[in-house]
Amino acid sequence: MSFLRIILIAAAFIFIGILPVHAKDMIVKEPPKSLSKYYPPESKQSKWIQQMHKMSTHFGGVFVNLKEKDFENVDIHADKLVEEYKKTSEMVPEWEDYFDIKAAEAFAAAAKTHDIAQAGKASGKLGKTCGKCHAENEVSVWAKFHWPSFHKIKVTDPISEKEIEFDDYMGSISASFKGVTVNFGEGQYDRAAKALKIFKSRYMELKSTCSKCHATQDVKRFYVGQDADTAFAGLSQELDSEKPNPEKFWKNIGLLGKTGCKHCHLVHRTNSFIQEMWEK
Amino acid sequence: MKRSSRIFDLIIGVGLIGVAGFAMLYFLVNERFEWIPEQVLELARDPEILKRPAAKKCSECHKAIYEAWKDSRHSISWTSENFIEASENHTKEKCLPCHIPKSVRGEKPSPRLNLRDEGIYCVSCHFIDNKMQGPYDLLAPPHPTFRNPDYVRSKFCGSCHQKTFKEWKATNVEETCQDCHMPRKKGRLTQKAGFNLLHKKRWVGDHRFLHGEIKEKDVVMEAGWEENYFIISLKNQTIPHFVPTADNGDPRLYLYIKFFNEAGEEVDKAKEIIAPQQETALPYNKKIQYRYRLFDKVFKAEVELKYQPAWSKEKTTVRAETVRR
Ligand code: HEC
Ligand code: HEC
Ligand code: HEC
Ligand code: HEC
Ligand code: HEC
Ligand code: HEC
Ligand code: HEC
Ligand code: HEC
Repeated sequence: MSFLRIILIAAAFIFIGILPVHAKDMIVKEPPKSLSKYYPPESKQSKWIQQMHKMSTHFGGVFVNLKEKDFENVDIHADKLVEEYKKTSEMVPEWEDYFDIKAAEAFAAAAKTHDIAQAGKASGKLGKTCGKCHAENEVSVWAKFHWPSFHKIKVTDPISEKEIEFDDYMGSISASFKGVTVNFGEGQYDRAAKALKIFKSRYMELKSTCSKCHATQDVKRFYVGQDADTAFAGLSQELDSEKPNPEKFWKNIGLLGKTGCKHCHLVHRTNSFIQEMWEK
Repeated sequence: MKRSSRIFDLIIGVGLIGVAGFAMLYFLVNERFEWIPEQVLELARDPEILKRPAAKKCSECHKAIYEAWKDSRHSISWTSENFIEASENHTKEKCLPCHIPKSVRGEKPSPRLNLRDEGIYCVSCHFIDNKMQGPYDLLAPPHPTFRNPDYVRSKFCGSCHQKTFKEWKATNVEETCQDCHMPRKKGRLTQKAGFNLLHKKRWVGDHRFLHGEIKEKDVVMEAGWEENYFIISLKNQTIPHFVPTADNGDPRLYLYIKFFNEAGEEVDKAKEIIAPQQETALPYNKKIQYRYRLFDKVFKAEVELKYQPAWSKEKTTVRAETVRR
């Protein structure tokens, strides 16, 4: 292994913290129960991540110091890595088998020879234990502990002023969307205009849901921002005119369906699907 | 000289010395506290105050301010049922900083680990660099203090009320958040019997952090008819931020309009949701107009404006009017 490559790998450990993940290994199963202890609400902080950062720092620390020829610190990081690796292996009993304490110790021994090539070689086996667990569990952990649940969000329907579940709201918003398109298709422009009012108020109500998960306002530029406003204005204009222009009408419908509904689904629904799978 | 009169003189004498002593102490504490040596002050210090205690500790002396804070939304920013639900039982990381701030210093705070049930409490807002910071240059024997002019500036509130602060800044109005939401009254900062009289009266800001009320002069409503349209406009004339205003809360105004024919039957209705989260709130000093096309013969319109705060599902009527054609 070339020196440069080792440094690059070490850099990846430190700066990105990503170890090789192979797509073919990927599965999405619910994380073990005992992991919950290390995440809110059971723990005040995400303790598991803190543990990951410790290991990652010591792993990277070995290489940084080898490069700088600061051998005293190489030894310290090598010992600390073994210590933290052992500690981590005891945190979640269901995950015990992912750890290879011997590989960690072998890596520490190699590092202590202060020969960067030997350390690089020994790091491979240890790194694989990290990578395997990440490939199999990271996405599930994100879905479980980092993605808030749409199933726990309620939306106030602007028409009835009743609070309903998010997915029921999606049902009613699609129904009112169809109210617009079906009536237009049949040439019932007055009905389409009435349906558009209802659809628009339901659509705009979605803007109130963003702040239940996001703490910045600028996300609202997407899906529910200017593009949607322009499309709605265009639709109203057609329906208010004596002779609506179907081409313009359908173009705006397409815009709403795509940059509105579809793009929001592409970003947000994947995790909702995963969570739903586990809830059932 | 009679014995009784001597005792009388003694009492007067001691009394005079007492009054003079108190006057001297009062003068020293209020006007020349820099003369008091640090070692003497050490004797009066209570080290517990500097260990980030719960608000109850401060109430030993700042009783009135404590009672007011207890009544404020800030004291329940963590325990509010609405917040617990919205933050999915406190698990949404992004929701913690402003609701359980460690310390407020003009930018988004970081969340703290201890005493979370206290919400936004005295220590969050006042304890910085091991001192109780506040608007005054004064002597507090029990704890060190530091005068920081930011306490009377809107920027302080803007640490968390970030969106509202931006709105306020754009209006160029001089009145600060504190002027309206923490109105000041002359009074004492402390209520600890005996000791409080040693300190002169000062302006004390209302720590209930008053919500504010929408009055008729604040939001002006005009309505009228134009051919087959009904037109209504609302103008936030006095409140130097959007109405309603919000960061992560979802307060709303609902405008309901009902149209009636000559026989008094309802023929149509309309509704507007005026809400910061939907970017439809009323900006400062700008008229917002709503137009409704009338399809039937309309004789009068009934207009009602209702308000729903961020922390409740209850609406209260702000204004109700009948507009005849
Ligand atoms: C038993 C499973 C497992 C093993 C073994 C493991 N990890 Fe992790 N690691 C995880 C999970 C799960 C996450 C995702 C945590 C999250 O996002 O909450 C993670 C995330 C990380 C992260 C990213 C943290 C962040 O802020 O998102 C780093 C860096 C990391 N691990 C380093 C390591 C290193 C280095 C090793 C090996 C020495 C290692 N991990 C071994 C399960 C494991
Ligand atoms: C149930 C929670 C939830 C709701 C409701 C929600 N989002 Fe998100 N959204 C997320 C999460 C989690 C991410 C991943 C990145 C993150 O944590 O910000 C994300 C990512 C995004 C992104 C990608 C860029 C970014 O900030 O990471 C955009 C844009 C976005 N959301 C917009 C919106 C809009 C607009 C709304 C309201 C119409 C909305 N979201 C409602 C949870 C939510
Ligand atoms: C906040 C971003 C967002 C926007 C904008 C959005 N959706 Fe959704 N939609 C979701 C999410 C998230 C789900 C999955 C909800 C769940 O799992 O409960 C969903 C689910 C659905 C479903 C399936 C409902 C069910 O019963 O499972 C339909 C249908 C739907 N959306 C239609 C629409 C239409 C039509 C639009 C545009 C007019 C739209 N959505 C706009 C986020 C969005
Ligand atoms: C930048 C600071 C800040 C962050 C971050 C923040 N909030 Fe708030 N929150 C506020 C302020 C300020 C208020 C007062 C009302 C208003 O201005 O919206 C508030 C009020 C609320 C309210 C209404 C009051 C109540 O107790 O019912 C809810 C609910 C709420 N926030 C939920 C959240 C959620 C959910 C998140 C995370 C997505 C969050 N907040 C993140 C500052 C913040
Ligand atoms: C033993 C009594 C006592 C306790 C307990 C106490 N204080 Fe004070 N504090 C005082 C006195 C006395 C003053 C000065 C009053 C005056 O001059 O009018 C003062 C002044 C202050 C000031 C004004 C500072 C300035 O420069 O404007 C702040 C802020 C303050 N205290 C905060 C706190 C907080 C927060 C706590 C609880 C953590 C607390 N105090 C506990 C006695 C106390
Ligand atoms: C540490 C963040 C933070 C700071 C600093 C802060 N606030 Fe707040 N404020 C909040 C939060 C969060 C809420 C919502 C609490 C709740 O209802 O759950 C709130 C609520 C309020 C409310 C009540 C709103 C309502 O809907 O009833 C008012 C008024 C208010 N704050 C004014 C102020 C003023 C004035 C200042 C400056 C002196 C200030 N705040 C400083 C975070 C903060
Ligand atoms: C949201 C932040 C916030 C919280 C919480 C808070 N204060 Fe204050 N405090 C302020 C501000 C701002 C001022 C300046 C008010 C003004 O304009 O005079 C102030 C002023 C003071 C003063 C000086 C007198 C005055 O009103 O100017 C004292 C004493 C004080 N606070 C004590 C307390 C105590 C005790 C608590 C808890 C029971 C507390 N504060 C909670 C923000 C806060
Ligand atoms: C001229 C007086 C005035 C000033 C200055 C002022 N407000 Fe207000 N504020 C009000 C009034 C009146 C209301 C009630 C109307 C309303 O609900 O919007 C209010 C309402 C609020 C609310 C309740 C949210 C709502 O609308 O339901 C918050 C939070 C708030 N103000 C924060 C602030 C902050 C932060 C500042 C400084 C950046 C500030 N205010 C400056 C008068 C003022």
